[in-house]
Formats: sequence, C-alpha cells, structure tokens
Amino acid sequence: MSEGAKIRCLLAMLGTDVHSKGIRTLAQILRDEGVEVIYLGEHNTAEGVVNAIITEDADVVGLSYSTATYLHYTGELMRKMRAENISEVPVMLGGLIHPEDEPELRALGVRGIFGPGATTRQILVFLAEATGKALPGLGGQ
Amino acid sequence: MDDLDTLYEAVRRGERRAAARLISQIEAGERAVAPLVRRLYQAGGATPVIGITGPPGAGKSTLADRLVGLWRQQGHSVAVLAVDPSSPLTGGALLGDRVRMGRHNADRGVFIRSMASRGCLGGLAGAAGDALIVLDAMGFGRILVETVGTGQNEIDILHHAGSVVIVQTPAGGDDVQAMKAGMLEIGDVFVVNKADLPGADRAVAQLRDSVAFRHHMAGPELWVPSVLKTQASDGSGVVALDAALSAHIAHFKDFPQAWARRQRLRAEGILVERLREILRERYRLGAAKPQRFACALDDVVARRADPYSAALALLGEGGLA
Ligand SMILES: Nc1nc2c(ncn2[C@@H]2O[C@H](COP(=O)(O)OP(=O)(O)OP(=O)(O)O)[C@@H](O)[C@H]2O)c(=O)[nH]1
Ligand SMILES: [Mg+2]
Repeated sequence: MSEGAKIRCLLAMLGTDVHSKGIRTLAQILRDEGVEVIYLGEHNTAEGVVNAIITEDADVVGLSYSTATYLHYTGELMRKMRAENISEVPVMLGGLIHPEDEPELRALGVRGIFGPGATTRQILVFLAEATGKALPGLGGQ
Repeated sequence: MDDLDTLYEAVRRGERRAAARLISQIEAGERAVAPLVRRLYQAGGATPVIGITGPPGAGKSTLADRLVGLWRQQGHSVAVLAVDPSSPLTGGALLGDRVRMGRHNADRGVFIRSMASRGCLGGLAGAAGDALIVLDAMGFGRILVETVGTGQNEIDILHHAGSVVIVQTPAGGDDVQAMKAGMLEIGDVFVVNKADLPGADRAVAQLRDSVAFRHHMAGPELWVPSVLKTQASDGSGVVALDAALSAHIAHFKDFPQAWARRQRLRAEGILVERLREILRERYRLGAAKPQRFACALDDVVARRADPYSAALALLGEGGLA
C-alpha cells in the first residue's frame, strides 16, 4: 500500500512545564509534513509516556522543555524506557536546551537535540533517519 | 507458523507490545498478518464494544475519559481506540484525543491507541476494524471507540460497536437537524454534553421527541434509545450514561434473537465495507492490474463492451459476482 510507512511520532511534555506553544506548533508542522503525531500534551509522567509509547507503537518520541528540569525528567524517562525494553525507540528533545548540557543528554541516550535555532528541515531529516521511513517533504529519500 | 502461534498467544494473553505492533502492521497493510487476524477474530466477540461519535469538539474524548475512569473503578480493564481524520493533503494527522485522557496514561489496565483514518474520512473502515479485532481478542472488560461524526460515516461505527453513543451539544441546533438525516437511526444512547451551556434542556427535549416519534410503535424486543444530559468536564451525568449502556447490554441479553439480528447486520456492514475497500484498492488509478483488466479496458476503449458489462465480467472472473 502506498501509505504503508507513516511515521508515528509521540509528542509530550514531562513534569510541570506548561509552555506548550512550541510543541503544539511542532505538532502542526509535522502533521503538515505527513507525520502522524500522537499528542499527549502537558503534565505527563515518565511512566505515562512509556505506556503510551508501547500502546501507540510510536516510531519516535519528542519531548519539549522550557525549564531547566530536562536533565532530571529525561533521565527518568530513559531509565523507565530501558526497564521496559523500549530504549531502541529514538528520543528527541526540543525547546530551551543549553548547549553545555548536550553531552550529558547524549550520554543518557537522547538521539536528537533541537534548541531554539533548529530548523524544521533538521527535525525532518532526523525523523527520517531515526525511523528509517520516508517523508514526502524531504524529496527522494 | 511457529511465530504466528507465539504472536497469537501473546495477543490473547493481553501483551501490549505484541498487540500494539500487530496493529501497526495492520495499518501498514501487511498481508502476512491476515492469518493471525483471522484466528483472533474467531476467538473474539466477548467484549462489549461501545462507540462514541458526534461532531468535532462535542466532548467525546472527555466523556471517554470519564467512562474509562468509571469502568476502572468497577474493576474492568479498558481499551480505547481513538480515530481522528488524516489531513487529505499531506496524509499526516494530529491525533489529540489522548490529551483528554491523560490521567489514564500510567494505568496499565487501560490500553489507548490513536489511529489516523488515512483514506477513510473519519469513518471506521480499513485498519480500525481489524485493530478492533485485536483489541477484542486481548480480553479487556470494555472497548471504547471514538470517531468524529462528519455527517457521512457515522454509520460505520454501528458495524463495529455493540452500543452506539451519539454526542451532541446544546449549541448544535443545526447538528440536531443534521442528525435527523441518519444518526437518529444508529444511536442507542443520545447524549447532550456541555449541559452547563444554555439550551441543553431544550436540546434534550427535542431529541426525546424525535426518539419517541421513531419508536412509538416499538415492541418489547426493540430497544428505545435513552437521551441523557452530561457535563463531561466535571463528570456529571456520566454514571447515568454508564447505567444506560449497561441497560442496553442487558436488553440484548433478554432478547437474544434481537441481538442475533443486530450481530448479523453488523457483520453484513463490515463485510460489505471490506468488499468495497478491496475493490477500491485493487482497481485504484496507478495500481498494478491483472492482464484481464487490460483486456477489458481494450474492449471498453474500442466500444466492443460497455463499461458496466465489462466491470461485471471482471467481477465474475474474480469470483465476486
Ligand atoms: N463547557 C463544557 N466544555 C466541555 C464539556 N465537555 C468537554 N468540554 C470541552 O470541550 C472541548 C472539546 O472536548 P473534547 O473531549 O476534546 O471533544 P471531542 O469531541 O473529543 O473533540 P474532537 O475529538 O476534536 O472531535 C474541550 O475544551 C473540553 O474541555 C462540558 O461538559 N462543558
Ligand atoms: Mg476527541
């Protein structure tokens, strides 16, 4: 079938972070690029996100942060993902991520980091590479 | 074959990863899973399936969240299939129903799956029907399906759900009109949600009139739909909604022949839907078609056969007519 390989991308915010404008915008952009976005909104727990990754069979997970809590919450999520044997699902981070924290995030297993300067195209290229599924907007991938 | 047995057992045990992956394979149209789906279908049919439909923003997901909460309190495990439309231009989708059900995310007794309708315009055709077969075989206490009612495809939900809840809002005076066109026939329970908004009682009264008019000669074996008012945002009316659903299920226990008729109607709807889909997919523009199709096409182009007869002949050769 022509529609066989849609990217299913789960987007969520963890903890008490309430600045959801960025992730809502990203959700719409990704939808317009042909991605199926499973949007969880704000106030999620690591456990809740892990359950959702499993039942939704998400290809990739995107988290957005506007506060400095991301090391803590991302670390917790990665641990829980490992415990459930789903650490192969790629995780990307967006929002106000400080460049000096990137090495630590990478060490936690985060595959994509998209700070304030990131372009849509960078995110799309990451999604296509991380999931191995084509995106129409990227041309002949 | 061994793999198939293992997967079958895993789904039957309710293993979430196995089931979730299988649903993805179904969505991707992988033919290899067909024998598994067949076995799961043969094993299924025991779980009550409740469909919720209604116009965008009516409060379907918020109601679903409340029902799930109630059913969990009653000790049922629950699966939710939330279908949202795909963007017809890009094929992408924003599946946002889970936002309203967030408090169940961490509960392993609740299996929520979001699904894009892909080609099916908000209807339930296609992968959703097979996904429901998987969920049914997993042994949940309740299955809930949410679909957007676009005015055309609500009928689909009847085929897949044993009980159909139609959600309206007081603001939807036009919706009540539109509903008369077809939804009135398919609802088992009608809900006017957003009871906190003005006009709720009027909408309920209107609906009660319409339902009473349709059922004034009903015999005892015919279910007369309930009409209820809810405020999903604070949960009021949801216990009554659950009670109405239980009454609907109990009604069909009392009248097994009526249930059998309904089951047959459902199965017929699904079968016809599948037939239509297979034909549409097989003969869509650009699909690789068999040699005999090219021959039929030649005949139509040369006016040796008219299109209708040529199509019938093709179906006959495929064993379909
Ligand atoms: N005032 C009021 N608002 C409500 C009520 N129930 C739900 N809402 C609000 O209505 C909006 C839509 O609710 P949803 O549950 O997402 O509606 P839906 O029918 O699932 O929407 P779609 O899936 O997008 O078609 C949300 O902002 C809810 O908070 C209610 O009883 N009263
Ligand atoms: Mg909804």
